[in-house]
Amino acid sequence: MEKKTRVLLFKPGLDGHWRGIMTVSKALSEAGMETIFFGFKTVEGVVEAAIQEDVDVIGFSVHSGAHLEWARELVRELEEKGARGDFLLLVGGVFPEQDHEELREIGIDGVFGPGTVTAEIVRFIEENLGRKVSG
Amino acid sequence: MEEMEEIRRGLEEWREAKKGWPERREEFRTDAGIPVKDLYTPLDMEGIDYLGDIGFPGQPPYTRGVYPTMYRGRYWTIRMFSGHGTPEETNDRWRLLYEEGETGFSAAVDSLTFSGVDPDQEVHGAAHEVGKEGVPLYSIRGVEALVENLPIDRMSVALVVEPMTSAAVTSMYFNVAKERGLRKEQLAGTTQNDILTMTIGYIPWGSLKPADLLKLACDLIEYCTAMGEAPRWNPINFTTYNYREGGIDAVQEIGMGLANAVAHIEELLRRGWKIDDFVHRLAFHLSAHRDFFEEIAKYRAARKLWYRLMKERYKPENPDAYRFRFHVQTAGSSLTAQQPMVNIIRTAYQALEAVLGGTQSLHTNSYDEAICLPSEESVRLAVRTQELIQEETGVANVVDPLAGSYYVEALTRELEERIWDYFMRIEEMGGVVEALNTGWLFNEMSKAFNKRRRDQECGAERVIGVNCYVMEEEEPTPPFRTNPRAAEIEKERLRALRAERDNRRVAALLDRLRGVCERRENVLPVVSELTAAGATLGEITGVYREVWGIWQLPFVA
Repeated sequence: MEKKTRVLLFKPGLDGHWRGIMTVSKALSEAGMETIFFGFKTVEGVVEAAIQEDVDVIGFSVHSGAHLEWARELVRELEEKGARGDFLLLVGGVFPEQDHEELREIGIDGVFGPGTVTAEIVRFIEENLGRKVSG
Repeated sequence: MEEMEEIRRGLEEWREAKKGWPERREEFRTDAGIPVKDLYTPLDMEGIDYLGDIGFPGQPPYTRGVYPTMYRGRYWTIRMFSGHGTPEETNDRWRLLYEEGETGFSAAVDSLTFSGVDPDQEVHGAAHEVGKEGVPLYSIRGVEALVENLPIDRMSVALVVEPMTSAAVTSMYFNVAKERGLRKEQLAGTTQNDILTMTIGYIPWGSLKPADLLKLACDLIEYCTAMGEAPRWNPINFTTYNYREGGIDAVQEIGMGLANAVAHIEELLRRGWKIDDFVHRLAFHLSAHRDFFEEIAKYRAARKLWYRLMKERYKPENPDAYRFRFHVQTAGSSLTAQQPMVNIIRTAYQALEAVLGGTQSLHTNSYDEAICLPSEESVRLAVRTQELIQEETGVANVVDPLAGSYYVEALTRELEERIWDYFMRIEEMGGVVEALNTGWLFNEMSKAFNKRRRDQECGAERVIGVNCYVMEEEEPTPPFRTNPRAAEIEKERLRALRAERDNRRVAALLDRLRGVCERRENVLPVVSELTAAGATLGEITGVYREVWGIWQLPFVA
């Protein structure tokens, strides 16, 4: 049996706008992926869990305006643990389009701003993991 | 009666005659799923008694409005929700809005102020979020700067903080007034203080348990209103707007709001107060969403239901207690990042719903809010949207102009019934605290949101720029950026405060708060002393967390 794509999702920081990431979590499950939604979690905790649980994707959601800060912190932590490049990294939430390029430069693979349709996220994961998600 | 029979016959003939005329859809429904007929006639008014069900403005059952003259006497208050960066920058914005004609203010706070965390606490990357989503108000120094050079005895301010920090931030505001030689009895304003906002809408880091949030919310009502410490202050604003933003419909919005109000009323009665000691100060904050007539009918039904709840269950003597007073905010969740200028039009229609529905105050969203915090230009346009309704449309010259519309009256009755049933369902499961503990409310929100997402993705719910009339976007709107130095500035403000305050006194007061929490006494008196002495939000909320523990969310999603 083909291994299901495993996705770990979390909210960094204190911001309590959870609706977006919970919706993504639901949509990815509906698309046949296995999602682990952590709620609030530190990046240290997330990276540790991602390694342990052998996930394919790490995604986080930011509505606080601190998307660049959190992206840098996650990538730095992955580098420190020698796990940079082991996971597909996604960010979603409310942030301006002008910041998409910088988020990619920091090392986030998939950047999903307001107005994203969840199917786009599914397609992005499928294409970038180089295999069809099993359902 | 004979006339009704004639109308009935006429209607049947009319339906027969139009059979060859196809319609756009098989069936039409409101946003809440209520079937919409092709035509409404006097037949739909059957069973609606003018005097008993509709009545006169300012008189029971208040369907037509809570005051006799409504906007012929005084316009609604233009109350804009704002805050960003540092208290000084928010003060600049407020003074701009004051000059633009705004008459009420509403403080949007940052995620730390919501959660009761200080920027110098090494908690969960707190410093990243200082001043990002709203104004940081971590100590009395922040509130002082927020209202500097603003006439707080002549304006009304809404503090949008929730039970975890409502006692602290409200007492900071009262203490600032005192420093200026004002008495808190003179102050008009509102604290949001809503337990559902913090448990099903926005879930802050380190939230307390529902029963403890309810206790804190009731402490503020008890202190301001029942004990008479701040009689002109609205110590709570049941913010059904926030629940609605999570994707639920108009029926669920008001049903949850009534159930939430009842939880607070019951708790205060249990503490030994009489209904007349506090109920006249309970206020609401509703949404104005996309279904034009349904929203108007919702406001009318909500007024009538509140009257019914008071009359049947609590029977207060104060006639003001029967008036359902509310603020409205146009629906942020209806805005789109695509074609953002279209948001101006959406907001204008929603503002009109609120006015036709008889709101007491109104916030209009800015067109760039699906992307960032609003710029000065976009906020000014949002204020102008309300001023245009006041000055140019003439709609405020008459009270409740849609009364007597067959459709609006039929919809009002239908909503009234559906909302009452939904409210009773929550009551029967033990009220909102129980419905939070079991995860039922949370699940209602998730189901609603996922349904809305699917409806939008398959095009069943049409959204311009998202699933219809999509176009290549030109230049994205230049985003408004908050002050990147906010965290440094706020850390410095706290460092200075900690250096100059009497730290031994603060520690002793925190000990007292610990005792008060253990005995579950009202926290306001000691919290008020604490904020006057320069204690911070993180210190005060830290005591709550230490004594009562943190809520483990019941995940059903």
